[in-house]
Amino acid sequence: MVESKTVESKTVETRVDPHGPAQKNEREFMLDVRTQDLEVNMGPQHPATHGVMRILVRADGEICTGAQPHLGYLHRCAEKIGENVEWLQYLPYTDRYDYLAAMNNNLGYSMAVEKLMGIEIPRRALMIRTLCAELNRIGSHLIAFGTYGLDIGAFTPFLYMFREREWMMALFEKICGARLTYSYIRIGGVFNDAPPGWLSEVERFCDTFEEKWQEYVDLLMVNHIFVQRTANIGVISKAMALDFGLTGPMLRASGVDWDLRRDMPYELYAEIWKSGCFAIPLGTGERGTLGDCWDRSYVRVMEMIESIKIVRWCLGAIEPGPVIADIPKTLRVPTGEAYVGIENPRGELGHYVVSDGGKIAIRCRVRGPSFTNLAVLEELMPGVLIADTIAIIGSTDIVVGETDR
Amino acid sequence: MDFRGIHDRLLAVAAPGLLGHDLPRPSNPADKKDKGRAGDPFVWVEPALLPAFLEVCRDDPRLAFEILVDLSAVDPSKDDPNMWVVVQLLSLSFRHRLAVKCTLPKASAALPTSTPVYRAAQWHERECAEMFGITFSGHPDPRNILLPEDWVGTPLRKDYVFPDEYHGISCK
Repeated sequence: MVESKTVESKTVETRVDPHGPAQKNEREFMLDVRTQDLEVNMGPQHPATHGVMRILVRADGEICTGAQPHLGYLHRCAEKIGENVEWLQYLPYTDRYDYLAAMNNNLGYSMAVEKLMGIEIPRRALMIRTLCAELNRIGSHLIAFGTYGLDIGAFTPFLYMFREREWMMALFEKICGARLTYSYIRIGGVFNDAPPGWLSEVERFCDTFEEKWQEYVDLLMVNHIFVQRTANIGVISKAMALDFGLTGPMLRASGVDWDLRRDMPYELYAEIWKSGCFAIPLGTGERGTLGDCWDRSYVRVMEMIESIKIVRWCLGAIEPGPVIADIPKTLRVPTGEAYVGIENPRGELGHYVVSDGGKIAIRCRVRGPSFTNLAVLEELMPGVLIADTIAIIGSTDIVVGETDR
Repeated sequence: MDFRGIHDRLLAVAAPGLLGHDLPRPSNPADKKDKGRAGDPFVWVEPALLPAFLEVCRDDPRLAFEILVDLSAVDPSKDDPNMWVVVQLLSLSFRHRLAVKCTLPKASAALPTSTPVYRAAQWHERECAEMFGITFSGHPDPRNILLPEDWVGTPLRKDYVFPDEYHGISCK
């Protein structure tokens, strides 16, 4: 034993010890183990990367010493396409970046164009848009939470969450004919009115969902193994979250009280917030440290139930009326530029559109929340255990369609 | 604060590189060619002083732009010799936004990196560099981010010519 210690002492000096000097016995044991840096490609087709993304992980034994995300495998030139098709024709492309929350993408793009055009949206359309965006948020968080469990070894909750999401998608199929890429929210309103009986089915969905939601919390959120795998892992401090421009649940999990729906309200959110029906869940550090993986899951889980409250408010306040403003088939958007940011399930989805008064945009920039939220990985990964890298990637809840666009 | 308040504050603290501002305005009924401008107001900033300007925006207690939301570029037209870099800032404390714009000549598009001020700028600048051919001097990691390392051309420029093939894959 003594011999191997002297041979390996050189390489051991540089390693990062996640436990610090406190656990001295363990460190002494590790000195005996022959180690060398190993570069491992995680992806492009790894189930835990949530899409086609590659992370180059440098590992020293069980410890990750660095990670470098490589993007672009799903780059489909969305912004270039935006400069080559007409304003209305671009709408279906917005579905394709964050395909888990396509309603929100439609909404963001429509709002940016509406801002330039100064269109007034009928109230019923606003109601349906808000309702659909919130339903879609629930669906998106179900996937985020379900696949997160799957990533770290809990297979069953994932299937339960797909059951509820299936119902949500059936609801969307009834209203617009598509299950994933809706293109339902249009510039000026929504494509068509809800079919008869649809709103009462949404209400039934809400009733069932509230019941099932408690199951998820019991099954996964407070599950001892889940807490052990996520608490104190991947801690993002407040300052770091702001520096990296994190938004959405990632930011709120670090204790920053910020939600565009309340702080820069769009659509009907000012009215809904005033009615006091929903709250903004924040990370608490209840099970570990503020801003750890558990907190990020917690914020998403709590947001689902808040979204149900917003859906219920819309169901209670909806009135008959037109669902789309009178807009021409070929849009000519006035010269100018506008930036609109909305609260997508993953954070701030920004659309920056520039028009020269013609039929086609001259710039159609998309600021995807997954893209910025992913940048924090390079900072979080060094020093964690290999098993925890999966927990950290899962907790950022990225959709590669959006990081790559 | 509204845009006017932010602009006054920027003048009061003598923010480095501030060149002027641009407000939306209605069309002029007397002049048919003047269609006005819709959308958001923004400020013009000198590109070489952009990081210094952003630093003031971040650190001034009454502006407090904690988050750099977006950094991208715009190529307005094929004939225009210039393009713009556009930065979107967001203040959580005061709930206001600011759009910052710089003009860069296409022939020598270069400006200093803003990564030391906001880490969020790092990936946005990498994307901007590969798509528009802008050099961000001092960038800590100037690799391509969405495009392959050997991609030829800068796709989001208006004069971009689509390639015929890439490594034997036909692009027609």
